[in-house]
Amino acid sequence: MNINTIVSLSVNGIAMGMIYALMAMGLILLIRAIGVMNFAQGDLLMFGAFVTCALTVDLKLPLWIMIPLALISFAVIGVIFMFTVYWPLKDATYPTATVISTMGAAMALKEIATLIWGSLPRSMPPLMKNPKTGKAAVLNLFGIKLQWQFVLTIIVGAVLIWLVFVLFEKLYAGRMMQAAAQDKYAAELLGIPTILTTAATYIIVVIMVSTGGYMIAPIFMVSNTLGSLQLRAFAGVVIGGLGNIKGAIIGSLIIGLVESFSTIQFSQYKDAVVFIVLIAMLLVRPQGLFGEKVADKA
Amino acid sequence: MEKRMKIKPSTLLIFLAAAIFVIVIPNTNEGYSMMIVNLGLIYAIATYGVSVMLGMGGQLSFATVSFMGVGAYITANLCSGRNGINMNTALALVIALLASALLAFGAGLILFRLKGTYFTFATIGLVQVSWSFYLSYKPLFGGPDGISNISTLNLFGFSPKNYNDWFYILAAFVLVIAFLVERVRRSQLGRSLAAIRDNEIAAQTLGINVYMTKVVAFTIAGVLAAVAGSLYAMHSQFVSSDMFTYERATTYIIMAMLGGVNNTAGIFVGSVLVTMLPEWLRFMQQYLQLIYGIGVILLMVFMPMGLAGLASGFAKSLKRKLYSKKKVTAGKEGPKQ
Repeated sequence: MNINTIVSLSVNGIAMGMIYALMAMGLILLIRAIGVMNFAQGDLLMFGAFVTCALTVDLKLPLWIMIPLALISFAVIGVIFMFTVYWPLKDATYPTATVISTMGAAMALKEIATLIWGSLPRSMPPLMKNPKTGKAAVLNLFGIKLQWQFVLTIIVGAVLIWLVFVLFEKLYAGRMMQAAAQDKYAAELLGIPTILTTAATYIIVVIMVSTGGYMIAPIFMVSNTLGSLQLRAFAGVVIGGLGNIKGAIIGSLIIGLVESFSTIQFSQYKDAVVFIVLIAMLLVRPQGLFGEKVADKA
Repeated sequence: MEKRMKIKPSTLLIFLAAAIFVIVIPNTNEGYSMMIVNLGLIYAIATYGVSVMLGMGGQLSFATVSFMGVGAYITANLCSGRNGINMNTALALVIALLASALLAFGAGLILFRLKGTYFTFATIGLVQVSWSFYLSYKPLFGGPDGISNISTLNLFGFSPKNYNDWFYILAAFVLVIAFLVERVRRSQLGRSLAAIRDNEIAAQTLGINVYMTKVVAFTIAGVLAAVAGSLYAMHSQFVSSDMFTYERATTYIIMAMLGGVNNTAGIFVGSVLVTMLPEWLRFMQQYLQLIYGIGVILLMVFMPMGLAGLASGFAKSLKRKLYSKKKVTAGKEGPKQ
């Protein structure tokens, strides 16, 4: 194994890790804001990939129209998702009910995608094309060949994650959302419209996840099986630590790297390697990489 | 003392319905439709495991399919003559049961170092690991082709010849397991689990060993899943990895939620219904999954306690109407032991 393969495998791994990080971050935002695990996270990613694929391939829109249109449709999907899957259940007596309803939503999303766009996998052109051959462009970095799509995925993922951090740390709207997440009742007393902050959380989460779908669409085919990627994001969340966003991002990147490097030796058992790492991690540090051991409060 | 002997009308009704089910179904079905009913019964056994974990203990676990796989593949290896072993099937069932109990206990010890949501995520990890081994490791699991030619069950000389014979055997299994689960619910273990479900810290202050109670519940769930897997292998005489995917795991949870997650009779109804629905709705095959998905959301919105919750609510309002002029009865459901 030479330096060439190591670098290109790391870039692939970090790119996939970014996708998992986007999903994992969305998961934690939802868990913190409304305390619900979203099992439809992967299927929202799948749906995002299908929507952008329809906009670019079927309607042949140029990028500068496509991106705002896609963002608007992601926001609409987020609001619809919130009002169908979460809102009717927010006062449910049985907490697992909300989780199960996201599983139902996952199935429904998968089927809606199949009914609209058919069950055959669709191919999506890469963002950067080689003008001569028309194939995916390759970045030549000191003799190491890297696919532009992977590099762009890393950049887009990092920018999105940075934007969310800015929102929550610096902006007034983000502080309102954090307050609503920490104590809904007190936030309402202070006049914060919690329905709007919850909707905003859903919109942010769906935009993050669907953009992830858009970035990986050229790497994988666009098909309704993309939803299974969410399982890696779950693993990233557990490795990172309980409810810790930074931990979840680093955990997801680790998962991406492990997955990428395990293809050298055991490509058949790629999944098993990823999750064995997870279980080994649980044995050594059950609270996760960045989690602190906190006693429960009554 | 007399009060103890009193049988509740609802229990009587459930036994009556079960008797009608066992008499009517095998006389009106055969062949393929009987096989579907049988599969429903097998899934019911695994779903009882979900009920012990989720209904009694409030722990959402996806590991059902992993242990179903353990049961199924142990049976498949011991009873298909693959490696020159062709064991008595009843013995293989017992071996599958013991092995899965050990494995589930070990896995429970590891997984319950996590709590709540993070435990659920870790069980998904377990499902992925076990599934990729079932799919790819040829020597033990037959790889993508699966394992075929598994001998059918042989219980002390009685061996089912068709799906109708199988029905009676499976019905007996379900009845025994339902009875055991109902006993567990009323035992110290069941009450400890209910305490953990309602408030973990309060349970701890009452002197319940929360960790070990959860591990024992996980072991019971694993064993029930393995029994279901073992019976599935003998019933279908074929096992392959697509029975043990993450998607299948969600189906068992939905079965439990449809019937009523903490209700022994409800679990059975839920499993059979979810198995039969695709057959009944065959004419709109194209929209089946969509209806199913939306149905799950509506189910959670309107009756989170499932059909059993609906039935008990109906019974309560009926009772109130009937007895409204007589004395007000104390307690919810009459005397309990």
